Amino acid sequence: MHYLIRRSLHAVFLLFGVSILTFLFSALTPGNYFDEMRLNPQISPETVAALRAQSQLDRPLPVRYVHWLSAVAHGELGFSFAYNSPVGPLLWARARNTLLLTITATLLAWLLALPLGIWSASQFGRAPDRVLSWATATLLVIPDLVLALGLLILAVRTGWFPTGGMISVGFESLSPLDKLRDLASHMVLPVLALVLSALPMLVRHVRASVAEVLEAPFLRAALGHGIPRRTLLYRYALRTAANPLISLFGFSVGTLLSGSLLVEVIMSWPGLGPLLLEAILARDLYVVIGCVLLSMLFLVAGNLFADVLLYWADPRIRTEASAK
Amino acid sequence: MPLRSFTKWLVVLLVLHGVIAAAGFFAPYSPIEQDRDRPYLPPMRLHFFDTQGHFHFRPFFHPLRLRESAFDQYEESTSTAIPLHFFVRGASYHLLGILPMRFHLFGASDARICLLGTDAFGRDQLSRILYGGQVSLLAGLLGAGVTLFLGALIGIVAGYYAGWRDELLMRVAELFLALPWLYLLFALRAFLPLSVSPLEAFLLVVVVIGLVGWARPARLVRGVVLSVKERDFVRAARGFGASHLYLLRRHILPETASVLLTQAAILVPQFILAEMTLSFLGLGIPEPISSWGNLLASLQNYSVLVSYWWMYLPALAIIPFFLGYLGLASSLQERPAAYKIVEKKSWNPS
Amino acid sequence: MHPLLKVEDLVKQYPAGRSAGSKVKLLALDAVSLSIAQQTTLALVGESGSGKSTLALCFACLEQPTSGSIFFEGVDVAALPESELRSVRPQVQLVFQDPAASLNPRWTTFEILSEPLFLQRSLAKQNRNNTVSQLLDRVALPRNLTSRRPGELSGGQKQRLAIARALALEPKMIILDEALSALDCSVQAQILNLLLDLQSSLGLTYLFITHDFSMAAQIADQIAVMDRGRIVESGTVHKILSSPTHESTRTLLAATPRFPTSPPSQVNP
Repeated sequence: MHYLIRRSLHAVFLLFGVSILTFLFSALTPGNYFDEMRLNPQISPETVAALRAQSQLDRPLPVRYVHWLSAVAHGELGFSFAYNSPVGPLLWARARNTLLLTITATLLAWLLALPLGIWSASQFGRAPDRVLSWATATLLVIPDLVLALGLLILAVRTGWFPTGGMISVGFESLSPLDKLRDLASHMVLPVLALVLSALPMLVRHVRASVAEVLEAPFLRAALGHGIPRRTLLYRYALRTAANPLISLFGFSVGTLLSGSLLVEVIMSWPGLGPLLLEAILARDLYVVIGCVLLSMLFLVAGNLFADVLLYWADPRIRTEASAK
Repeated sequence: MPLRSFTKWLVVLLVLHGVIAAAGFFAPYSPIEQDRDRPYLPPMRLHFFDTQGHFHFRPFFHPLRLRESAFDQYEESTSTAIPLHFFVRGASYHLLGILPMRFHLFGASDARICLLGTDAFGRDQLSRILYGGQVSLLAGLLGAGVTLFLGALIGIVAGYYAGWRDELLMRVAELFLALPWLYLLFALRAFLPLSVSPLEAFLLVVVVIGLVGWARPARLVRGVVLSVKERDFVRAARGFGASHLYLLRRHILPETASVLLTQAAILVPQFILAEMTLSFLGLGIPEPISSWGNLLASLQNYSVLVSYWWMYLPALAIIPFFLGYLGLASSLQERPAAYKIVEKKSWNPS
Repeated sequence: MHPLLKVEDLVKQYPAGRSAGSKVKLLALDAVSLSIAQQTTLALVGESGSGKSTLALCFACLEQPTSGSIFFEGVDVAALPESELRSVRPQVQLVFQDPAASLNPRWTTFEILSEPLFLQRSLAKQNRNNTVSQLLDRVALPRNLTSRRPGELSGGQKQRLAIARALALEPKMIILDEALSALDCSVQAQILNLLLDLQSSLGLTYLFITHDFSMAAQIADQIAVMDRGRIVESGTVHKILSSPTHESTRTLLAATPRFPTSPPSQVNP
């Protein structure tokens, strides 16, 4: 248990660190924000003055941080000027959509990367491996911005997929099965964009880790015992290569989350990404902070999940933890 | 041979960068030259065979005119054939910002040849892509420079002095590494003023990009410093009374060079992409300065997406650069042939 | 006559735990006391981990002892601040075990030899050339080696280079930390002879660290045996070899390879 406690504490530390960073960013130039707010006709001067007073600009930083932190802890994430509503509910609705996209893309990417990488490692140096290496190299060279835009243009010109949004008009009146189909068809493009941009790196790493394990003497010994090939690959090799791969999983959550920001904006998927962008352009301070914090929360949660996975998968960590 | 492939990729990159640096020569027109009568021209085709089927050595093109029924569709007016000339004198420009020149690689008189089409204001896309590349590449290179400088500095302090400085710096680095970089980039950008002059915007973009990625180079440099610090030749130099600065400058820093170089090859393309992303979303370089990012900004319009596909082409410009930098990074990470394990056999239990 | 080097109750502790603030400490040197007379050789013998290298680093002022004194020519160098240490450093020089690690592989021979000259004596370019040539002569290395890198030299040549570098600042004492252990037997003999010649011609004092008694016997006047951070036995070579008292001494002696007929002696190799 000690390991898990340690990792949970680490996650909490990360969250605190992120909150401090975010707070520092926002605190360093609040002047800009409030000055620009005054220029915004949608916000009354009284509101600006009240907000300015509330943010206690003249108090020392640590005091302001504690004040801000306690407000956040109470679920008070501030007020959005653009949407004229509290930030909290606004965020949660969008967050659900982002999670849907990111989790699907992560699962799909790994479900593809693992078998491809393992197969590639077992065919090391031969034709199938070389072809796959070329394919991943080609994908690697196409950045996610280019890929997403390209897919969008493809959709627009062929009309095969809906070109944006999450649901069609008249979604409410559809039967449950049709609702699912509608959602799925809207998800294809963004998920494809995310998966294709993440896949090459994942496949390469899986291939490298598994190939290294396949060289190990204990595997050749197992081979000599007559254990079937598939078992060897998946139960023996994969288990041993699991350690670095699970760390990679934690890292991939971060890159997919980053990628989802861009993909959501391009494909008009109503997630945190477009919200953050709008908020930045509209100088909607509290929405910006809320979005950034929430995305970091997801990231930390994803990494903690990876830590738990590691605990479950790697017996060495379990024994090391119980030995303490 | 690792050295040979490194040189090969370096040459490729130098050529690519050279073309962009000499954008004035390769671009037929100035990037701000407008032609409002002809917005959204599609890419023009070059012909070698005329309507009668005769072959012409010198390629030529037909100017485009509006189709009668449509308001934004063009067709070639095959009555006029305008030849393409090479090494023509055109609008004057400054090569690399210093040398005034008037020569362009190709051009035509009487009409404009727009090989990649034009945008809403009739500006030639090819020229805009070439000039825009200057901004994007420079932003990427400078951003990488800032990051590497910052990362090296922090890595050296952490590795050389160790102790609480090391712990603190590495914890902060861990934090930065753990965060999704695009959100970090946006957060940094968000808290800075939006409407700034192009030069300020450029500097802003460089600084913001530079501040995001220092953690990984810092960790790597720290590792190198920690291990080199304990080497006997450093001890021997200390035994001669060397100062810390001397040790860092003459013994430790040279060892970090290869790590920094590899990181540069990895970071530069990422930072070019970061600039593109920022400018695409309106948070980076503003008009009228073109950068690869803001050239794509018009694609956010549905109508542009549907009707004017050539506006996507600036996105492809970055691909050869990605390829070059990827090749360079791979060649740097290859171990020397002497240490390579002889030929891995494919794993086949039959 | 006053000893050149005299050590009293030297203690060196290292933090041994995982994190920086760990309470667990490793005792590398446990109240070590010894003295070395001028122009003599003291051999420090012991197994790996007995603290020999730590002692060497402390003598060369490259590690700060936790407590105790190191009197070099009467001055306690362990208590000196860094600024004053600078003038003491040239007096005591170190030759390390692995010349591949103690010579910067990217530098040329010339750069390696001029480094101490540059740091301490600020010689002019012309003088530096001359001094480097003289140093090469002293260790019997050809003068045209100056543009070569350590990777191009043999083990014996590298170690000669390391010795030449140690001589650059005209030290009174040279500490040789297992300096011959990495070399072939025949080369060991050559370097040993070189060291003896240098000692007589330059009046050097040696601290010769080794785990090999036969080598110690060939070069040393006095022997001190170390075990787990302590000096367990010391005395003249003859006394230690003929009648060892401490258990570790006997173990080490027994491990020394020797020909069936004669015991190791100070015979011309």
